[in-house]
Amino acid sequence: MKKVEMNSPSKGIWVFGDYRHYFQNRVTLQLIAKAKTLAQRLGAEVTVVVLGEEVHQYAMEYVAHGADVVMVVDHPSLKNFQVETYSRLVATLVEDYRPEVFLAGATPFGREFFPRLAKRLKTGLSTDCIALEVDAETQLLLQTTPAFGGDLLAEVITQNHRPQMATVHPGVFEERIHDSRPVGRIIYPEVDIHPDERVQLVCSRPEQSKKGYLENAAVVIVGGRGIGSGEQFQSLFDLAELLQGEVGATRPAVDAGLTGEDRLLGQTGKSVKPRLLITIGTSGALQYTTGIQGSETIIAINRDAQAPIFKIADLGLVGDAHSILTLLVEKLRKRL
Amino acid sequence: MDIVVCIKQVPDVPNIRIDEHRMTIIREGVESIINPLDCVALEAAVDLRERQGGRITVLSMGPPQSEEALREALAFGADQAILLTDPAFGGADTLATSHVLATAISMLKPFPDLVLCGRQTIDSDTGHVGPQIAEELDLPQVCGVNEIDLQGDSLVVKRLYDGFLDTFRVNTPALLTVSQELSSPHHIPLADLERAFSDREIIRWAMKDLNLKPEEVGLGGSATRAWKLHKAAPKRRGEVVTGSPQSLVEHLIRKLEALSILDEESGNE
Repeated sequence: MKKVEMNSPSKGIWVFGDYRHYFQNRVTLQLIAKAKTLAQRLGAEVTVVVLGEEVHQYAMEYVAHGADVVMVVDHPSLKNFQVETYSRLVATLVEDYRPEVFLAGATPFGREFFPRLAKRLKTGLSTDCIALEVDAETQLLLQTTPAFGGDLLAEVITQNHRPQMATVHPGVFEERIHDSRPVGRIIYPEVDIHPDERVQLVCSRPEQSKKGYLENAAVVIVGGRGIGSGEQFQSLFDLAELLQGEVGATRPAVDAGLTGEDRLLGQTGKSVKPRLLITIGTSGALQYTTGIQGSETIIAINRDAQAPIFKIADLGLVGDAHSILTLLVEKLRKRL
Repeated sequence: MDIVVCIKQVPDVPNIRIDEHRMTIIREGVESIINPLDCVALEAAVDLRERQGGRITVLSMGPPQSEEALREALAFGADQAILLTDPAFGGADTLATSHVLATAISMLKPFPDLVLCGRQTIDSDTGHVGPQIAEELDLPQVCGVNEIDLQGDSLVVKRLYDGFLDTFRVNTPALLTVSQELSSPHHIPLADLERAFSDREIIRWAMKDLNLKPEEVGLGGSATRAWKLHKAAPKRRGEVVTGSPQSLVEHLIRKLEALSILDEESGNE
């Protein structure tokens, strides 16, 4: 059996365990994987904090994915992810155990919960990070986050306040393969729970869209504003069908009403890592490219040879999106 | 219902240019606007006042020129405008910013029933300030709401979140941050805008008016430092080809075959 070492609690790296749905749980697994590499540099342990009702299965899953410790608070009043109740409770845990770093996914919940928690702890927070490193000299967490609409990246540090908190863009890091013989501890801290009843969830229903269809597609075809009309945007669906893929869109395309918000990729939308991504009529703004940078192969089609999208493409085609698309669909149909 | 709307004057981000040598933002010649989601919050406040009566106070922390944004907000329909400005406030992160805003709100008499903020700003995009004001003032919060209804003393709000449409009942006083879908800001008549710039008063509060100390505000009250700005290094640069649509499509199909996305075809067509 592997020997489990206790580290000084102030060196801990914590990850907030959001397990609610497939997508959030994947983000948690990605953060555990990243926390493990950071922990090696800091000589620290990775602790996942899991709150909720009957959540033990997730504690097991997180250990299997590399958590050294899973801290579980299991209580019926924690069933809903309620920001006020959670902030108060988690702040007490942080004050008791004093982690060095605390990470959460930059999901809508993470982006609502972590600012409140950071404020309660009077510490710093960076949001929607696309890279995290440990500075060799200072041992500080270097948090890279897009600024000014994504044209620039800012490297942020939290020098004197603890924990160093960050939310991380989903899909930026890769989860570890499940370990069949994991070693980890599950602990049950003693805490007082004060449910905040000023906000009551009346109802919650899934929106009609198929969940995860974009994130799990092997081929993604993306249209930008340069695609032109809604009719031309529809031909992306023809191409997607021929390649058994899905269709995504950039912010300008969504804002122009070419397709719905659920297909939005990038900083304010989804991140994808398909085997192949074909991006058409997109200039390549960083707000968008942060959501596609994990793609194995990127093919870009754009009229403007200087478009930044070509800098991240494995193959770039300079030409009119509409005529290339029409011809491509025609040729592929003939092959079937 | 007394409503506070927090607004921020931001550079019109799509028009921002970058000084590639110094890696800083060139602000000269870039128009400043009210953060678009803050306008959505203002519109929602005007709508609630129409239904419910009450007063709207707009609040902004920023350099003296943020006064323009507040005047615009007055023209939009706000009843009073307070500018929180002091050289000491410069360089604040969201921890220090929310402290200044929350302190100002706590000084309002009567204490507001509702604090509204845009869900995030277009320049820094953090979305921290709303929840952090709520924490400091011990208010319940809901972020990213797209519908606000009044039922007696409580608010019924909706938001689309992580793939779910959630409905909440929230006791007042409360803080809400708003998303784009909540409202479409109305057009400001030019006469109202002119009046806001000539006749209306802007209240100014500096650090000492808020009884704050230098170490609580600006850089001193901040926990984070942005110590480096850089452009993302391009990760890959493959071949970029030009030519007729015909030749481009052939090139593309060969690539798809090479990637095994398409089965190879033995040259017949």
